[in-house]
Amino acid sequence: MREEILLGNGAIALGLMEGGCQVLTSYPGTPSSEILPEFVRLMKLEGVDAYTEWSTNEKVAVDNAFAAAVSGKRAACCMKQVGLNVAADSLMSAAYMGTTGGLVIVSCDDPGPHSSQTEQDTRLMARLAKVPVLDPSNPREARQMAKLAMELSERFKIPVILRPAIRVCHARQNLSWEPISGEGKRASFEKDPLRWAATPRFRFILHGELNKKLREIAGLFERLEAHNFHNLDPGKSYSLGIVASGVPYSVVKDILEEEGRGDVPLLKIGTPYPFPESLARAFMSQCEKVLVIEETDTVIEYFLREKERVLGRLSGHVPSEGELVPQVVHRVLEGAFKEMGLDPLGPGGDGQVMELVKGLDLPVRRPTLCPGCPHRAAFFAIRKGRAKTIFTSDIGCYTLGLNLGAVDTCLDMGAAITMASGFYHAFRQDGIDQSIVATIGDSTFYHSGTAGLLNAVYNDARFVLVILDNQITAMTGMQPTPGLGIRADGTQGRAISLERVVKGCGIEFVEVVDPYDIKAMGKVLKEAEAHVKDPQGGIAVIISRHPCIIAYREEAIAERKSVTVTEDCDQCNLCIERFECPALYVDDKLGRTAVNQAICTGCGVCLQVCPRDAIVEV
Amino acid sequence: METVNFVLGGLGGQGILFMTKILAQAALDKGINVMGAETHGMAQRGGSVVSHLRLGDVESSLVGAGRAHFLLSLEESEAYRNLPFLAKGGQLYANAGDNSFPKSEVKRYLDGIGAIYRAVPAGRIAMELEAPMSANLALLGYFSAFGQGPLSQEELRKTVDMVSPDRFKEINLRVFDAGFQKGREEA
Ligand code: SF4
Ligand code: SF4
Repeated sequence: MREEILLGNGAIALGLMEGGCQVLTSYPGTPSSEILPEFVRLMKLEGVDAYTEWSTNEKVAVDNAFAAAVSGKRAACCMKQVGLNVAADSLMSAAYMGTTGGLVIVSCDDPGPHSSQTEQDTRLMARLAKVPVLDPSNPREARQMAKLAMELSERFKIPVILRPAIRVCHARQNLSWEPISGEGKRASFEKDPLRWAATPRFRFILHGELNKKLREIAGLFERLEAHNFHNLDPGKSYSLGIVASGVPYSVVKDILEEEGRGDVPLLKIGTPYPFPESLARAFMSQCEKVLVIEETDTVIEYFLREKERVLGRLSGHVPSEGELVPQVVHRVLEGAFKEMGLDPLGPGGDGQVMELVKGLDLPVRRPTLCPGCPHRAAFFAIRKGRAKTIFTSDIGCYTLGLNLGAVDTCLDMGAAITMASGFYHAFRQDGIDQSIVATIGDSTFYHSGTAGLLNAVYNDARFVLVILDNQITAMTGMQPTPGLGIRADGTQGRAISLERVVKGCGIEFVEVVDPYDIKAMGKVLKEAEAHVKDPQGGIAVIISRHPCIIAYREEAIAERKSVTVTEDCDQCNLCIERFECPALYVDDKLGRTAVNQAICTGCGVCLQVCPRDAIVEV
Repeated sequence: METVNFVLGGLGGQGILFMTKILAQAALDKGINVMGAETHGMAQRGGSVVSHLRLGDVESSLVGAGRAHFLLSLEESEAYRNLPFLAKGGQLYANAGDNSFPKSEVKRYLDGIGAIYRAVPAGRIAMELEAPMSANLALLGYFSAFGQGPLSQEELRKTVDMVSPDRFKEINLRVFDAGFQKGREEA
């Protein structure tokens, strides 16, 4: 037996492996990114053989796993909740077609949001696609549910979604496990065009089959006592009961326990869809009212009947946005207890200290690019002298170019390019030649850059596209990209040349430059702009190539420069406000900018930034 | 065992996760169940980072307001930001210059709730040993000197030894010991 303190994502990897997962695909995205690396680590630890891949995007990941699941294998794919939007097309159709093996889709939600564009609730996506969804409360349950999801999927031949929220993915808990055998099925595909290539007429039949599966699964969920249960005393009646699921369940459970509140019963729903309706009805029959606490949207609350007996978001008792952290849950419980005439809860942090902290005017710690980050150098050059330019950008570390005034938009993966062409045409229509510089990371470009670029070339849009190629997917924790060709299990695959892909999209102007050389970058930008303006020209692509300083410490700094700031510094603060290297700060005692040697990487880029040349090499 | 709650605060890049890992592993080695919550993603790029660690049998990974027995902070402002977590009679250990900490209004509040608070220049201690990124270990060593909570100095030190990657083992232990020494002088 082994025991480890596993990250929730490690617990999910473990559960998938215990469920016999033979194929695992993923595209990284917080909070899901560690599932695949943890799976690979466990494979090596347990001597289990499985196929893993970092797919180029989430749709690609689902399609690949789906093919394995219709070959009779057990497969899974992992992504963040907005990644499931990208894969929605596959999911909806896969639900109708079903599987022959198992298919688990792990879609990780981000209430808060901490690291996402939206707070969307994957459970609603499951409802839309008509596939079962399991909602774990902590890593231990996530592991059990990952295994259960695989078994359910194979038994009912239907994709099953596991929806852990960020507080499951990035929780840590000690778990122990027995050796895993890792035996799997052999691939076999039975031709059945009426299913695997069904036309609309047959889709109608498949829809009927799907509904039948769901009814059967609903029946099973009614009796799934490990994950759907309550603590009612038979025959007793209560003024208020609580219905909770996912992370908020664990929070509510701890609060009630700590406060010794046996007078308030709790129903846990681990399977919000298909909804265990009879169980919920039985619970409600012993409670005058029920309070629903769930993340992030209303799902269980919609399923409960007799709305006049239900307190939740629809009745204004639970906040409709943001994470249900303990303080918030405490406040919600307090309000409902009071309304129902129950004994009050013990203190849950007092307002006085909040006021005190607010009054301290603490510095807002906005995230910023790392010291020595190549993106900072690129953005500095891009921003220089381009106050009127529209800067479309994308999703990754480089979204933080925001701080440098070089990011104006960030819609979704790939939108740097599609919004650039959209802006171009919108202004062009009015006879205006709007200057536009788009920035996109290498991984994001492989994810969904090419379709937008092909479209922009085809429709003759004009803009400069800078691909920030730091040869890694940095923000999500350093996953390799197709550009390097290193695969999920660490083996070498085939590297794909960014230059060739860009040229293949019909781009004639392609220049590669090292952004650490701000002058060279500035020069290439000017040439690119000339090409964009030239009637015979077109879209210009600059590949700004320098390795991420965190992923490739040694390679990123060819020769370490020791920098300092001289008395010539007149505190114009340009380097701090426009360049924003965290290693540069205002030293109040000296009355000028200084270098924090503890975090300075010696990249030397700041040497090119100061208008007074006060930053020098020693 | 009664649940013991830790909240650890700091900035992205200061090694909050590593500090949490040592506490958690030391507890597990003692047979205590652990549950914790970490910050990943965008905030790790220099934003405020907080990590929760709960020792005992619990369902949820998050510490509620007013429930932390121990608040350890690698930065002065982050110590203030996380004050609402601190329980009545709880203990605060912060990496800060010793005489200016805490601010007078904070001091009044801490005295009011019967909290114990201690400051240690963990950053300086680490810097002097030429390990500027290891303030986390200096703070942990300092904390261990007071014998508070279920984990002893020996247990924590042993865990630092065990979980540090080989090339950092020696320096990590030196920084931990220097923090411990500083605490011993005060304890
Ligand atoms: S992790 Fe890499 S890409 Fe991201 S901000 Fe830091 S240096 Fe830049
Ligand atoms: S050399 Fe300059 S730009 Fe580079 S990390 Fe140090 S202070 Fe920042």
